[in-house]
Amino acid sequence: MNTHVSDIARGRLILGAAGALAASLAMILAAGGAMAQQFSFAGKQIDIVVPFAPGGATAVTARFLAPYLEKHLHGKPRVNVVTRPGGSSLLGAAWVEQNAKPDGLIFLFTTSSTANPFVLGQKGVEYDLLKKRIGFSQSFGPVAYVSPATGVKMAKDLLKPAQPLAYGGIGAAASDLPIILSFEVLKLNPKVALGFTGRGPIRIAFERGDTNFDFQFTPVYLTQVVPAVQAGKAIPLYTGGSVDEKGHFTKRDLVVKDLPSLHEAYQAMYGKAPAGVEWDAYEKAATLTYQYGLTAYLHGDTPQPILDAYNKAVDAMNVDPAFVAEAKKVTGGYPLIRGDAAEPHLRAALKAGGAAFDYTKNLLATKYKVRF
Amino acid sequence: MLGPAIDAFWLLMEPVRLFALFCGMISGLVIGMLPGLGGVAAVSILLPFVYALDAYAGLAMLLGAVSVVYTSDTITSILVGTPGSPASAPTAIEGYALAKEGRAAEAMGVAFIASAIGGIAGVILLTLAIPIARPLVLLFGTAELFMLALVGLFFASSLVGGSRIKGLASGALGLALGTIGPAANAAEFRFTFGQAYLLDGLSLVGLALGMFGIAEVVSMLARGGGIAREPVKLVGWSDGVRDALQHRWLILRGALIGVTGGMIPAVGATASTWVAYGHAARSAKDRSRFGHGDVRGIAAAEGANNATVVADLVPTMLFSVPGGPAAAIFMGALYIYGYYPGPRFVVDHADVMFVIIWSCAIGSVGGAIICFLLTPWIARLTAIRFAIVAAPLLLVMLLGAYQATQHIGDLIILFLLGFLGWLMKRGGWPRAPALVGFVLAKPMEQNFWLAIQLHEWSWLARPAVLVISLLIVVPVAIQVVRWLLTTYRARAAGVPPDGRVATVDRPAEAPPPQEAASAPTSLALSVLLSIGFGYALILAVDFLPDARLLPLLAIIPGLVLACMALIQDGLPFWRGTARLAIEDELGAELIQFGFLALLVGGIWIIGFVPATAVYLLGILLRMARMSPVGAVAYSVILVTGAYQLASLMLMRLPVGHLF
Repeated sequence: MNTHVSDIARGRLILGAAGALAASLAMILAAGGAMAQQFSFAGKQIDIVVPFAPGGATAVTARFLAPYLEKHLHGKPRVNVVTRPGGSSLLGAAWVEQNAKPDGLIFLFTTSSTANPFVLGQKGVEYDLLKKRIGFSQSFGPVAYVSPATGVKMAKDLLKPAQPLAYGGIGAAASDLPIILSFEVLKLNPKVALGFTGRGPIRIAFERGDTNFDFQFTPVYLTQVVPAVQAGKAIPLYTGGSVDEKGHFTKRDLVVKDLPSLHEAYQAMYGKAPAGVEWDAYEKAATLTYQYGLTAYLHGDTPQPILDAYNKAVDAMNVDPAFVAEAKKVTGGYPLIRGDAAEPHLRAALKAGGAAFDYTKNLLATKYKVRF
Repeated sequence: MLGPAIDAFWLLMEPVRLFALFCGMISGLVIGMLPGLGGVAAVSILLPFVYALDAYAGLAMLLGAVSVVYTSDTITSILVGTPGSPASAPTAIEGYALAKEGRAAEAMGVAFIASAIGGIAGVILLTLAIPIARPLVLLFGTAELFMLALVGLFFASSLVGGSRIKGLASGALGLALGTIGPAANAAEFRFTFGQAYLLDGLSLVGLALGMFGIAEVVSMLARGGGIAREPVKLVGWSDGVRDALQHRWLILRGALIGVTGGMIPAVGATASTWVAYGHAARSAKDRSRFGHGDVRGIAAAEGANNATVVADLVPTMLFSVPGGPAAAIFMGALYIYGYYPGPRFVVDHADVMFVIIWSCAIGSVGGAIICFLLTPWIARLTAIRFAIVAAPLLLVMLLGAYQATQHIGDLIILFLLGFLGWLMKRGGWPRAPALVGFVLAKPMEQNFWLAIQLHEWSWLARPAVLVISLLIVVPVAIQVVRWLLTTYRARAAGVPPDGRVATVDRPAEAPPPQEAASAPTSLALSVLLSIGFGYALILAVDFLPDARLLPLLAIIPGLVLACMALIQDGLPFWRGTARLAIEDELGAELIQFGFLALLVGGIWIIGFVPATAVYLLGILLRMARMSPVGAVAYSVILVTGAYQLASLMLMRLPVGHLF
C-alpha cells in the first residue's frame, strides 16, 4: 500500500515535468497503433447464439446476417449460427453469460423476449444485459391493420368501430407489450385474445374473421398483408413509428413511409401530441421490441477495437448492394444499427424503475393478470 | 396446372439437382434411422449446404431428406420399439411386437410399401387439393383445432391394447407432463420447481427417447441377446408385399386421412395418424392382434404419416405458417432463396411449388425402395448380440436428447423418463397415449382458451366443431350399440355376456404371445403415479385459475385412474395370491439403470467424451463380451463418431465441471 502511494507521488513529480509531452506522445502512439493494426478476426470462428428454435424469425435473421458478417468483419472470420432454445430464451442467454469471453467470438442475438424478463426481474434470469456491450442492432416495425367489417377507414374511426374490435396476440409480457400499451395510449379497449403460438396463426385467425384488428411486422406485412389490402380484405392504419435523435418515437416508420405513425395517429384522434406515463411506457417497450428488436449482446469487457470492428462491419454492410437488396426481403430493409448508436438508448430502456416501469408492471398485473 | 408440373419435372432432372435430391434422401435415411433424430435434425444439418446450391437443388435436397424420414424411422420403430415421432408410435407398437416374433422383415415390408403409397397418394391428393386447400385450412379455427386434438387423444388412449384404465391413465400422464412450463392463457410457469430449464416444458425428443428408447435399450442390455427372440425369417419381406397388396385400400384410406389432417398446422400429423390407425382397428373384423402386432395397424399408420409430410407443406406454402418444426426450417430455406410463401407464392412460383411436390414424390418412392433393398440386411441386425448395437444407439440417444436445449437437464430428464418408461413397459402400461397426450397438451390448452376468449362458450355449437366431434361420438355409439346387441343376443342364447368374444367372427391368426407384465412393477408404478398425481394436484391448486384448468383436467382423472389401478394391482397382493418380489430379469435391468445414472453423473462431472468412453468400454467388455482390443477400438470409433456428429450439428458437448 505504502509503495503504491509513493509510486503515485513519484509519478506526479515526473508527470509534472514531462506530463504534457508523455500524454500527447501516448495518444499519437495509440492512434497510430489502431490505424496500423486494426483488430482482425482472421482465422477465427464466431458463434451467433440464438436462444430460440432453428425455424424462428430470429434464427432466420441471424442466418441472413451471418454471410455478410463473414464478408465485412475484418479478417473474414467464419460465422456460425447456433440455436440454443429453451426456457423462453433464458437458457440460451444464461449459456452465453457463462461461456462468452471478451473476445467478440460468442455473442447473444436475441429479442425483447430475453430483455423483458430481465427488466421485469423475472425468476430464472441468470444474465445481466445492462453489463453487456452492443455489437449491432436490427429494427423491426409493426403495422396495424383492421378488417373492412369494422367500418374503420383511418385511425380516428377506431373510437367508433362498426363491430367490437378483437385483437389476437401471443403474450402480454412478451412481444405484444408495446401493442397492448399502444391500446392504452390511444384509449382503446379491444377484446384481447392472448395465447397464439405465433403471428402466423394470428394472421389466419384474422383472415377467418376471428379477430378484426391485427399487427404484423414489416416484412410479413409487405409480403402477406399487402395482397389482402389490395384485395380489399384489410385496411392498414398506422405503424409503430421510429425514433428521432433523442430516442422518441415521433418519426414515421423507415420502410412503410406512406402510413402515419402511432404518434401521428394519436394527434389525429385527440388533436395533441401524446404524452404522459402511458406514452413513456410505450416508448420504453417499443425501444426494446421494435427499434432494437434484434440485438447482438457482446461480453461486457469486450475491448474497444473489437467493438469498432463490429461497427465498421455494420457501416460496410449498409452500403453493400447485395446486403441492401436481400435485407429488403428478410427484414423489410431497415438499415443495421451500429452498436455505439444503439447502446445508450438500449441501456435506458433496460433499466428497471421509474413511473413508466411501475405503470407497465401494474397494467400487466391488473389488466392481464401477470404474476411477478 | 399440368404444364408447370411437367416443366418442373424437367427442372428437377438436371444432374446436379437430382444428385442434391439423392444426397438429401441418404441423409434423411440415416438421420431418420437414428433414434431421436428426425425431420428437424435432417433439415438443420443440411441447411448450411443450401447456401451452395441453387433454389431448385437446395429445396430438392431438403425435401428429399424430409420425405424419407418417416420411412426410415420405421426401421427404428420396428427393431427397437422407439418411435421417431408421435405419428410413428402406432408403427412402433405393432411393428415391434411383430419383430419380437421374428417377423421384423414382414413388418418392414408392409411399412415401406405403405410409406411409398402414402407418399405418392399424398402428392397426388395435394396437387388436386391446392385449389381448395386455402378454404380447407381456413375452416379450422381455434375451436376446431381443439376438437381435433381431443379426437387424436381419444383415439390414442382408447385404441392401444391392454387395460383401459391404464391406457387412459397413461394419456392423463402425458397431458400432465405436457402442462409443465408456461400456461397458454396466463402468465404463469407451472411445475418448474424454480428451474429455468423447465420454463419451456419438457422436450418431445427427450420424452419419446426416454419413454421408449431408453426403456428398450436397458431391457436389451440386461438380456444380452438380440432383438428377436426367434431367428429372423429373411423371407419375410415377401409376406410384407403380400400384406401390403392385400390391404391396399386401407393404405389409401390412411393416406387420405393423412393428407386431410396433415394440412392443419400443429395438431394435424399426430391426430390424423392416430385417426387412421383407429380407422384400421375399427374396420377390422378380428381386432385381437391390435396392439400385439397387426400389419393392418402399420399399413394404415404408415400410409397416413407419409402423406402428412407432404400435406404439412400446405399451410407453409399458402399461409407461411409452418405445420411443424421441420416445415419451419424449410420455410427459412425458402426465405434464403427469396421466396415468400403466401397466397401469391403458389401462383407466382408454380415452378418452385411443383419442384417441391416432385421432390416429395421421388423422395417417398426412392426412400421406400432403398429401405426395401436394405431390409434383409437390416433385419439381420436383430440377431446381433444387442450390446454391440445398443452402444452406438445409446450414444445417439444421448446426443439426440442433448440437442434439444444443450443443457445437462436434457440428459437428466432423459434418464428419469427412461425409468418411467421402463416401469410402464415392464408393468404392462401402454406408453403411446402418454406420448400423444404430451404432444397435444399445448395445442389443446392454447386453442381451448383462444376459443373461449374469442367466442366464449358459443364455440361448442360451431358446425365444424360438431362435425369433428362425430369422430368420437360415432365410434362410441357403435360400440355401445354393439355391446347392447351382443348382450341381448347372448342373453337370448343363454350364454354369459362377453362382448369381446362375441364381436370376433373368426380368429384369423393365433393370439400372439404376450410379454408377461410384472405385477410388482405395475403396482410400484400405480403407487408412484398416485403419489405423483396427488403431489401435482397440491401444486396445481395454487395456480392462477386460467393456468390450472388443463392441468386439473389431466391430474384429477389421472389421480382417480391411478388409484383404481392401485386397487386393481394391489388386491392380489392384499389377498396373498401374489408375492412382492423382484424378478431376476428386473434386477438385471435395475443394475443397468444404475450404470446409466453413473453415466449421466459422469457426463456432468468429467464431461461427455471421457464419461461415455468409460461407460462404453464397460458395456462392451461386460455385456457384449468383446475382446479388450476390440472393445477399445470400437469405443474409440463410436466416441469419435459421436463427436463428429455433434460438431456437424454445431453442438457443444458437455465438458464437465471437474476441470
